[in-house]
Amino acid sequence: MRKTKAEDNVITFIIENQENFYRLAFSYVKNAQDALDVVQESIEKAIRKKDSIKDNQSVKSWFYRIVVNTSLDFLRKNKKIALVDDDTLDYFRSGKQDTYEDIDLQRSLEQLPITYKSIIILRFFEDLKLDEVADVLNENTNTIKTRLYRALKLLRVEMNEMQ
Amino acid sequence: MDKKLKKLKNEYKNTPIPEDLDKVVQQAIKQNKKKRLHPNSKWFIGLAAAVIIFMVSINTSTAVAQSLSKIPVVGSIVEVLTVLEIHVNEDNFNVNVKVPQLNNLENKDLETSLNQKYLEENKELYQSFSEKMKEMKKTGNGHLSVDASYNVLTNDDVIFSIKRTVVETQASAYTTNKFDTVDKQKQIMLTLPILFKNDHYINAISEIIKEQMREQMKNDPGVIYWLSNAGNEELPAEELFNQIDANQNFYINDQHKLVIAFNEYEVAPGYMGAVEFVIPTEKIENLLVGNKYIQ
Repeated sequence: MRKTKAEDNVITFIIENQENFYRLAFSYVKNAQDALDVVQESIEKAIRKKDSIKDNQSVKSWFYRIVVNTSLDFLRKNKKIALVDDDTLDYFRSGKQDTYEDIDLQRSLEQLPITYKSIIILRFFEDLKLDEVADVLNENTNTIKTRLYRALKLLRVEMNEMQ
Repeated sequence: MDKKLKKLKNEYKNTPIPEDLDKVVQQAIKQNKKKRLHPNSKWFIGLAAAVIIFMVSINTSTAVAQSLSKIPVVGSIVEVLTVLEIHVNEDNFNVNVKVPQLNNLENKDLETSLNQKYLEENKELYQSFSEKMKEMKKTGNGHLSVDASYNVLTNDDVIFSIKRTVVETQASAYTTNKFDTVDKQKQIMLTLPILFKNDHYINAISEIIKEQMREQMKNDPGVIYWLSNAGNEELPAEELFNQIDANQNFYINDQHKLVIAFNEYEVAPGYMGAVEFVIPTEKIENLLVGNKYIQ
Protein backbone atom coordinates (compact mmCIF):
# COMPACT_ATOMS: atom_id res chain seq x y z
CA MET A 1 0.00 0.00 0.00
CA ARG A 2 1.17 3.49 -0.79
CA LYS A 3 1.84 6.17 1.75
CA THR A 4 -1.43 7.32 3.15
CA LYS A 5 -0.09 10.47 4.72
CA ALA A 6 -0.54 13.58 2.68
CA GLU A 7 2.98 14.88 2.50
CA ASP A 8 1.77 17.03 -0.28
CA ASN A 9 4.17 19.83 -1.12
CA VAL A 10 1.48 22.23 -2.12
CA ILE A 11 -0.51 21.91 1.06
CA THR A 12 2.51 22.12 3.31
CA PHE A 13 3.64 25.16 1.39
CA ILE A 14 0.26 26.84 1.70
CA ILE A 15 0.03 26.20 5.42
CA GLU A 16 3.54 27.45 6.06
CA ASN A 17 3.10 30.61 4.03
CA GLN A 18 -0.52 31.44 4.71
CA GLU A 19 0.31 34.79 6.30
CA ASN A 20 2.30 35.90 3.28
CA PHE A 21 -0.59 35.02 1.01
CA TYR A 22 -3.02 36.81 3.22
CA ARG A 23 -0.89 39.95 3.21
CA LEU A 24 -0.53 39.81 -0.52
CA ALA A 25 -4.28 39.37 -1.01
CA PHE A 26 -4.91 42.15 1.49
CA SER A 27 -2.62 44.50 -0.40
CA TYR A 28 -5.03 44.19 -3.32
CA VAL A 29 -8.48 43.92 -1.81
CA LYS A 30 -7.84 46.05 1.25
CA ASN A 31 -10.12 44.45 3.76
CA ALA A 32 -9.85 41.40 5.93
CA GLN A 33 -13.00 39.60 4.87
CA ASP A 34 -12.27 39.88 1.17
CA ALA A 35 -8.65 38.95 1.67
CA LEU A 36 -9.76 35.82 3.51
CA ASP A 37 -12.09 35.03 0.63
CA VAL A 38 -9.27 35.43 -1.84
CA VAL A 39 -7.03 33.15 0.22
CA GLN A 40 -9.75 30.55 0.40
CA GLU A 41 -10.47 30.71 -3.29
CA SER A 42 -6.80 30.54 -4.12
CA ILE A 43 -6.38 27.38 -2.10
CA GLU A 44 -9.36 25.88 -3.84
CA LYS A 45 -7.87 26.70 -7.23
CA ALA A 46 -4.47 25.47 -6.19
CA ILE A 47 -5.75 22.10 -5.05
CA ARG A 48 -7.85 21.73 -8.14
CA LYS A 49 -5.05 22.66 -10.50
CA LYS A 50 -2.03 21.43 -8.70
CA ASP A 51 -1.09 19.24 -11.64
CA SER A 52 -0.54 22.32 -13.71
CA ILE A 53 2.71 23.11 -11.93
CA LYS A 54 5.39 22.92 -14.56
CA ASP A 55 8.48 20.96 -13.68
CA ASN A 56 10.76 23.96 -13.87
CA GLN A 57 8.40 26.19 -11.92
CA SER A 58 8.61 26.65 -8.22
CA VAL A 59 5.51 26.01 -6.13
CA LYS A 60 6.19 29.43 -4.69
CA SER A 61 5.78 31.50 -7.84
CA TRP A 62 2.97 29.23 -8.99
CA PHE A 63 0.93 29.85 -5.87
CA TYR A 64 1.74 33.54 -5.76
CA ARG A 65 0.45 33.75 -9.28
CA ILE A 66 -2.82 32.16 -8.22
CA VAL A 67 -3.17 34.61 -5.33
CA VAL A 68 -2.41 37.62 -7.54
CA ASN A 69 -4.82 36.50 -10.24
CA THR A 70 -7.55 35.68 -7.78
CA SER A 71 -7.12 39.10 -6.17
CA LEU A 72 -7.26 40.85 -9.53
CA ASP A 73 -10.33 38.84 -10.50
CA PHE A 74 -11.90 39.85 -7.27
CA LEU A 75 -11.19 43.52 -7.90
CA ARG A 76 -12.54 43.23 -11.41
CA LYS A 77 -15.73 41.64 -10.13
CA ASN A 78 -16.18 44.16 -7.37
CA LYS A 79 -15.19 47.39 -9.01
CA LYS A 80 -15.71 49.84 -6.23
CA ILE A 81 -13.86 52.11 -3.94
CA ALA A 82 -11.48 50.16 -1.78
CA LEU A 83 -13.11 49.63 1.57
CA VAL A 84 -11.26 49.84 4.80
CA ASP A 85 -12.56 47.76 7.65
CA ASP A 86 -12.51 48.85 11.29
CA ASP A 87 -9.39 46.94 12.20
CA THR A 88 -7.46 48.57 9.43
CA LEU A 89 -8.81 51.96 10.36
CA ASP A 90 -7.78 51.45 13.94
CA TYR A 91 -4.47 50.25 12.80
CA PHE A 92 -3.81 53.35 10.76
CA ARG A 93 -5.28 55.49 13.47
CA SER A 94 -3.10 54.05 16.14
CA GLY A 95 -2.24 57.57 17.16
CA LYS A 96 1.47 57.67 16.92
CA GLN A 97 2.62 60.63 14.91
CA ASP A 98 4.96 58.88 12.60
CA THR A 99 2.26 56.54 11.34
CA TYR A 100 0.67 59.47 9.58
CA GLU A 101 3.74 59.78 7.58
CA ASP A 102 3.43 56.12 6.74
CA ILE A 103 -0.07 56.62 5.47
CA ASP A 104 1.33 58.96 2.87
CA LEU A 105 3.86 56.38 1.92
CA GLN A 106 1.23 53.71 1.83
CA ARG A 107 -0.87 55.95 -0.35
CA SER A 108 1.91 56.61 -2.73
CA LEU A 109 2.12 52.85 -3.21
CA GLU A 110 -1.64 52.67 -3.64
CA GLN A 111 -1.46 55.31 -6.31
CA LEU A 112 0.83 53.27 -8.48
CA PRO A 113 -0.82 51.41 -11.34
CA ILE A 114 -1.63 47.92 -10.14
CA THR A 115 1.02 46.17 -12.23
CA TYR A 116 3.71 48.38 -10.73
CA LYS A 117 2.37 47.87 -7.27
CA SER A 118 2.44 44.10 -7.75
CA ILE A 119 6.04 44.20 -8.82
CA ILE A 120 7.11 46.31 -5.84
CA ILE A 121 5.28 44.06 -3.40
CA LEU A 122 6.54 40.81 -4.84
CA ARG A 123 10.10 41.95 -5.36
CA PHE A 124 10.73 43.92 -2.18
CA PHE A 125 8.13 42.85 0.36
CA GLU A 126 7.82 39.20 -0.50
CA ASP A 127 11.48 39.02 -1.50
CA LEU A 128 10.95 37.17 -4.74
CA LYS A 129 13.70 37.13 -7.31
CA LEU A 130 13.13 39.10 -10.50
CA ASP A 131 12.70 35.84 -12.42
CA GLU A 132 10.10 34.69 -9.96
CA VAL A 133 8.24 37.97 -10.18
CA ALA A 134 8.25 37.56 -13.94
CA ASP A 135 6.89 34.04 -13.55
CA VAL A 136 4.15 35.16 -11.16
CA LEU A 137 3.03 38.01 -13.40
CA ASN A 138 3.49 35.98 -16.55
CA GLU A 139 5.80 38.48 -18.19
CA ASN A 140 9.36 38.21 -19.29
CA THR A 141 12.09 39.29 -16.95
CA ASN A 142 13.13 42.31 -19.01
CA THR A 143 9.61 43.71 -19.00
CA ILE A 144 9.53 43.33 -15.24
CA LYS A 145 12.87 45.06 -14.91
CA THR A 146 11.67 48.01 -16.93
CA ARG A 147 8.47 48.29 -14.95
CA LEU A 148 10.28 47.97 -11.66
CA TYR A 149 12.53 50.79 -12.71
CA ARG A 150 9.55 52.94 -13.55
CA ALA A 151 7.71 52.01 -10.40
CA LEU A 152 10.65 53.02 -8.27
CA LYS A 153 10.92 56.24 -10.17
CA LEU A 154 7.28 56.96 -9.49
CA LEU A 155 7.84 56.25 -5.82
CA ARG A 156 10.87 58.50 -5.99
CA VAL A 157 13.02 55.78 -4.58
CA GLU A 158 16.72 55.82 -5.21
CA MET A 159 17.50 53.93 -8.38
CA ASN A 160 20.32 51.96 -6.93
CA GLU A 161 17.70 49.70 -5.47
CA MET A 162 17.50 47.96 -8.80
CA GLN A 163 19.15 44.61 -8.91
CA MET B 1 17.46 49.22 0.99
CA ASP B 2 16.06 52.65 0.50
CA LYS B 3 14.47 54.15 3.61
CA LYS B 4 11.17 54.73 1.94
CA LEU B 5 10.98 51.18 0.66
CA LYS B 6 11.94 49.85 4.06
CA LYS B 7 9.12 51.76 5.63
CA LEU B 8 6.70 50.54 3.03
CA LYS B 9 7.89 47.02 3.62
CA ASN B 10 7.35 47.37 7.35
CA GLU B 11 3.88 48.68 6.75
CA TYR B 12 3.21 45.75 4.53
CA LYS B 13 4.63 43.18 6.91
CA ASN B 14 2.56 44.67 9.70
CA THR B 15 -0.72 43.98 7.96
CA PRO B 16 -2.80 42.59 10.81
CA ILE B 17 -3.41 38.88 10.35
CA PRO B 18 -6.97 37.94 11.37
CA GLU B 19 -7.37 35.09 13.79
CA ASP B 20 -9.64 33.39 11.29
CA LEU B 21 -6.91 32.92 8.74
CA ASP B 22 -5.70 29.60 10.03
CA LYS B 23 -9.22 28.26 10.20
CA VAL B 24 -10.07 29.48 6.72
CA VAL B 25 -6.94 27.87 5.31
CA GLN B 26 -7.49 24.56 7.13
CA GLN B 27 -11.07 24.42 6.01
CA ALA B 28 -10.32 25.33 2.42
CA ILE B 29 -7.80 22.52 2.31
CA LYS B 30 -10.03 20.05 4.03
CA GLN B 31 -13.08 20.79 1.92
CA ASN B 32 -11.26 20.65 -1.34
CA LYS B 33 -9.58 17.42 -0.46
CA LYS B 34 -12.93 16.02 0.53
CA LYS B 35 -14.46 16.78 -2.82
CA ARG B 36 -12.21 14.22 -4.36
CA LEU B 37 -14.19 11.55 -2.58
CA HIS B 38 -17.00 12.12 -5.00
CA PRO B 39 -15.51 12.28 -8.42
CA ASN B 40 -17.54 14.27 -10.85
CA SER B 41 -20.08 11.99 -12.42
CA LYS B 42 -19.38 13.56 -15.79
CA TRP B 43 -16.22 11.55 -15.91
CA PHE B 44 -18.21 8.39 -16.24
CA ILE B 45 -20.22 9.55 -19.20
CA GLY B 46 -19.25 8.34 -22.61
CA LEU B 47 -16.65 5.98 -21.41
CA ALA B 48 -17.98 2.92 -23.11
CA ALA B 49 -15.38 3.37 -25.77
CA ALA B 50 -12.53 3.21 -23.37
CA VAL B 51 -10.48 0.22 -24.24
CA ILE B 52 -9.76 -1.91 -21.28
CA ILE B 53 -7.04 -4.39 -21.62
CA PHE B 54 -7.16 -6.77 -18.78
CA MET B 55 -4.79 -9.26 -17.68
CA VAL B 56 -6.98 -11.87 -16.21
CA SER B 57 -5.29 -14.08 -13.79
CA ILE B 58 -6.70 -16.21 -11.14
CA ASN B 59 -4.48 -16.82 -8.24
CA THR B 60 -5.29 -17.65 -4.72
CA SER B 61 -3.28 -15.60 -2.32
CA THR B 62 -1.14 -17.71 -0.07
CA ALA B 63 -2.14 -15.72 2.97
CA VAL B 64 -5.76 -16.55 2.36
CA ALA B 65 -4.94 -20.19 1.72
CA GLN B 66 -3.13 -20.35 5.03
CA SER B 67 -5.88 -18.74 6.99
CA LEU B 68 -8.33 -21.12 5.36
CA SER B 69 -6.31 -24.15 6.22
CA LYS B 70 -6.62 -23.31 9.90
CA ILE B 71 -10.33 -23.82 9.76
CA PRO B 72 -11.53 -27.34 9.36
CA VAL B 73 -15.20 -26.48 8.96
CA VAL B 74 -15.59 -27.09 5.27
CA GLY B 75 -18.96 -25.46 4.83
CA SER B 76 -17.79 -22.14 6.10
CA ILE B 77 -14.81 -21.69 3.87
CA VAL B 78 -14.89 -18.57 1.83
CA GLU B 79 -12.32 -18.33 -0.82
CA VAL B 80 -11.03 -15.07 -2.15
CA LEU B 81 -9.48 -15.07 -5.55
CA THR B 82 -8.04 -12.27 -7.55
CA VAL B 83 -10.07 -12.54 -10.70
CA LEU B 84 -9.00 -9.47 -12.49
CA GLU B 85 -5.87 -7.46 -12.47
CA ILE B 86 -5.38 -4.30 -14.44
CA HIS B 87 -1.95 -2.89 -14.89
CA VAL B 88 -0.98 0.22 -16.76
CA ASN B 89 2.58 1.32 -16.65
CA GLU B 90 3.49 4.43 -18.56
CA ASP B 91 5.89 7.24 -17.79
CA ASN B 92 3.60 9.31 -15.61
CA PHE B 93 0.70 6.96 -15.24
CA ASN B 94 0.40 3.89 -13.13
CA VAL B 95 -2.49 1.63 -12.38
CA ASN B 96 -2.56 -1.44 -10.24
CA VAL B 97 -6.00 -2.76 -9.66
CA LYS B 98 -6.78 -6.09 -8.09
CA VAL B 99 -10.38 -7.14 -8.03
CA PRO B 100 -11.34 -9.69 -5.43
CA GLN B 101 -13.95 -12.35 -5.98
CA LEU B 102 -15.53 -14.35 -3.23
CA ASN B 103 -16.26 -18.02 -3.78
CA ASN B 104 -18.01 -20.72 -1.80
CA LEU B 105 -20.52 -18.53 -0.06
CA GLU B 106 -23.65 -20.59 0.30
CA ASN B 107 -25.84 -17.61 -0.25
CA LYS B 108 -25.24 -17.22 -3.96
CA ASP B 109 -27.23 -14.01 -4.21
CA LEU B 110 -25.01 -12.39 -1.65
CA GLU B 111 -21.91 -13.77 -3.31
CA THR B 112 -22.96 -12.51 -6.71
CA SER B 113 -23.98 -9.10 -5.49
CA LEU B 114 -20.70 -8.60 -3.63
CA ASN B 115 -18.66 -9.79 -6.58
CA GLN B 116 -20.65 -7.62 -8.94
CA LYS B 117 -20.07 -4.64 -6.69
CA TYR B 118 -16.32 -5.25 -6.59
CA LEU B 119 -16.12 -5.59 -10.33
CA GLU B 120 -18.26 -2.55 -11.06
CA GLU B 121 -16.43 -0.31 -8.63
CA ASN B 122 -13.08 -1.25 -10.03
CA LYS B 123 -14.21 -0.79 -13.60
CA GLU B 124 -15.45 2.68 -12.75
CA LEU B 125 -12.19 3.42 -11.06
CA TYR B 126 -10.27 2.35 -14.10
CA GLN B 127 -12.49 4.29 -16.44
CA SER B 128 -12.21 7.47 -14.47
CA PHE B 129 -8.48 6.94 -14.47
CA SER B 130 -8.28 6.55 -18.25
CA GLU B 131 -10.39 9.62 -18.72
CA LYS B 132 -8.21 11.69 -16.45
CA MET B 133 -5.13 10.27 -18.11
CA LYS B 134 -6.40 11.31 -21.53
CA GLU B 135 -7.06 14.82 -20.30
CA MET B 136 -3.67 15.09 -18.70
CA LYS B 137 -1.92 13.81 -21.79
CA LYS B 138 -3.68 16.51 -23.79
CA THR B 139 -2.37 19.24 -21.53
CA GLY B 140 0.94 17.48 -21.47
CA ASN B 141 1.74 17.28 -17.82
CA GLY B 142 0.81 15.64 -14.56
CA HIS B 143 1.26 12.37 -12.80
CA LEU B 144 -1.41 10.00 -11.76
CA SER B 145 -1.43 6.65 -10.16
CA VAL B 146 -4.21 4.47 -8.86
CA ASP B 147 -3.76 1.47 -6.65
CA ALA B 148 -6.66 -0.69 -5.68
CA SER B 149 -6.09 -3.68 -3.52
CA TYR B 150 -7.84 -5.76 -0.93
CA ASN B 151 -7.00 -7.40 2.28
CA VAL B 152 -8.87 -10.14 4.10
CA LEU B 153 -9.00 -8.97 7.71
CA THR B 154 -10.87 -11.82 9.33
CA ASN B 155 -11.86 -15.18 7.98
CA ASP B 156 -12.91 -17.72 10.57
CA ASP B 157 -15.93 -19.90 11.06
CA VAL B 158 -18.21 -17.01 11.97
CA ILE B 159 -16.98 -13.88 10.32
CA PHE B 160 -15.50 -12.83 7.05
CA SER B 161 -14.23 -9.24 6.85
CA ILE B 162 -12.62 -7.79 3.79
CA LYS B 163 -11.07 -4.36 3.37
CA ARG B 164 -10.68 -2.75 -0.01
CA THR B 165 -8.31 0.13 -0.39
CA VAL B 166 -8.00 2.62 -3.20
CA VAL B 167 -5.02 4.95 -3.23
CA GLU B 168 -5.11 7.73 -5.76
CA THR B 169 -1.92 9.68 -6.11
CA GLN B 170 -1.64 12.92 -7.96
CA ALA B 171 0.45 15.38 -6.08
CA SER B 172 -0.67 13.84 -2.84
CA ALA B 173 -1.96 10.40 -2.08
CA TYR B 174 -5.56 9.96 -1.21
CA THR B 175 -6.72 6.72 0.35
CA THR B 176 -10.25 5.42 0.53
CA ASN B 177 -11.12 2.26 2.38
CA LYS B 178 -14.26 0.20 2.15
CA PHE B 179 -15.20 -2.73 4.27
CA ASP B 180 -17.56 -5.66 3.97
CA THR B 181 -18.29 -8.08 6.75
CA VAL B 182 -20.26 -11.26 6.22
CA ASP B 183 -21.81 -13.61 8.76
CA LYS B 184 -20.80 -16.92 7.32
CA GLN B 185 -23.29 -18.95 9.29
CA LYS B 186 -26.36 -16.93 8.48
CA GLN B 187 -24.82 -15.90 5.17
CA ILE B 188 -25.74 -12.28 5.48
CA MET B 189 -23.92 -9.00 5.17
CA LEU B 190 -23.43 -7.41 8.55
CA THR B 191 -24.11 -3.76 9.14
CA LEU B 192 -23.82 -1.74 12.32
CA PRO B 193 -27.61 -1.53 12.78
CA ILE B 194 -27.81 -5.34 12.59
CA LEU B 195 -25.21 -5.75 15.33
CA PHE B 196 -26.95 -3.56 17.85
CA LYS B 197 -30.31 -3.63 19.60
CA ASN B 198 -31.14 -0.03 18.80
CA ASP B 199 -29.50 3.14 17.62
CA HIS B 200 -28.03 4.00 21.00
CA TYR B 201 -24.84 2.50 19.66
CA ILE B 202 -24.21 5.61 17.56
CA ASN B 203 -23.83 7.80 20.56
CA ALA B 204 -22.09 5.22 22.72
CA ILE B 205 -19.46 4.38 20.11
CA SER B 206 -18.95 8.03 19.24
CA GLU B 207 -18.22 8.81 22.88
CA ILE B 208 -15.77 5.91 23.13
CA ILE B 209 -13.99 7.14 20.02
CA LYS B 210 -13.84 10.72 21.26
CA GLU B 211 -12.35 9.49 24.50
CA GLN B 212 -9.71 7.53 22.60
CA MET B 213 -8.99 10.56 20.41
CA ARG B 214 -8.47 12.77 23.45
CA GLU B 215 -6.28 10.17 25.07
CA GLN B 216 -4.11 9.87 21.98
CA MET B 217 -3.84 13.62 21.59
CA LYS B 218 -2.83 13.97 25.21
CA ASN B 219 -0.10 11.38 24.87
CA ASP B 220 1.29 12.60 21.60
CA PRO B 221 1.19 16.27 20.60
CA GLY B 222 1.70 15.20 16.98
CA VAL B 223 -1.70 13.53 16.95
CA ILE B 224 -4.58 15.75 15.91
CA TYR B 225 -8.23 14.94 15.55
CA TRP B 226 -10.93 17.38 14.65
CA LEU B 227 -12.72 17.25 17.91
CA SER B 228 -14.41 19.77 20.12
CA ASN B 229 -12.67 20.85 23.33
CA ALA B 230 -9.36 19.77 21.96
CA GLY B 231 -7.74 22.96 20.80
CA ASN B 232 -9.69 22.91 17.55
CA GLU B 233 -11.99 25.74 18.47
CA GLU B 234 -11.00 27.63 15.36
CA LEU B 235 -12.90 25.10 13.28
CA PRO B 236 -16.65 25.62 13.06
CA ALA B 237 -18.65 23.08 15.03
CA GLU B 238 -20.07 21.37 11.97
CA GLU B 239 -16.56 20.49 10.81
CA LEU B 240 -15.68 18.73 14.00
CA PHE B 241 -16.23 15.07 14.66
CA ASN B 242 -19.53 14.79 16.42
CA GLN B 243 -20.75 11.28 15.97
CA ILE B 244 -20.31 8.31 13.71
CA ASP B 245 -22.60 7.64 10.83
CA ALA B 246 -25.24 4.97 11.46
CA ASN B 247 -23.49 3.00 8.75
CA GLN B 248 -19.96 4.04 9.53
CA ASN B 249 -17.16 1.96 7.99
CA PHE B 250 -16.38 -0.92 10.31
CA TYR B 251 -15.03 -4.40 10.43
CA ILE B 252 -14.63 -7.17 12.94
CA ASN B 253 -11.02 -8.07 13.55
CA ASP B 254 -9.65 -11.53 14.16
CA GLN B 255 -10.03 -11.05 17.92
CA HIS B 256 -13.70 -10.39 17.27
CA LYS B 257 -13.47 -6.82 18.33
CA LEU B 258 -15.44 -4.15 16.57
CA VAL B 259 -13.20 -1.73 14.69
CA ILE B 260 -14.57 1.61 13.48
CA ALA B 261 -12.74 3.04 10.51
CA PHE B 262 -12.55 6.55 9.08
CA ASN B 263 -11.22 7.62 5.76
CA GLU B 264 -8.55 10.22 5.35
CA TYR B 265 -9.73 13.72 6.25
CA GLU B 266 -12.92 12.39 7.77
CA VAL B 267 -11.96 13.13 11.35
CA ALA B 268 -8.37 14.27 11.21
CA PRO B 269 -5.91 16.19 9.06
CA GLY B 270 -4.51 14.32 6.09
CA TYR B 271 -1.19 13.47 7.64
CA MET B 272 -2.99 11.29 10.19
CA GLY B 273 -4.01 8.99 7.36
CA ALA B 274 -7.05 6.73 7.55
CA VAL B 275 -7.61 6.12 11.22
CA GLU B 276 -9.24 3.18 13.02
CA PHE B 277 -10.51 2.71 16.53
CA VAL B 278 -10.88 -0.63 18.27
CA ILE B 279 -13.95 -0.48 20.48
CA PRO B 280 -13.51 -2.32 23.77
CA THR B 281 -16.25 -4.94 23.80
CA GLU B 282 -17.10 -4.52 27.49
CA LYS B 283 -18.16 -0.95 26.83
CA ILE B 284 -20.77 -1.86 24.26
CA GLU B 285 -21.76 -5.31 25.50
CA ASN B 286 -25.19 -4.30 26.75
CA LEU B 287 -26.03 -2.69 23.43
CA LEU B 288 -25.11 -5.65 21.26
CA VAL B 289 -27.76 -8.03 20.02
CA GLY B 290 -25.61 -10.93 21.10
CA ASN B 291 -22.02 -11.92 21.59
CA LYS B 292 -21.78 -14.06 18.55
CA TYR B 293 -19.81 -11.67 16.40
CA ILE B 294 -18.23 -9.35 18.83
CA GLN B 295 -16.65 -10.73 21.94
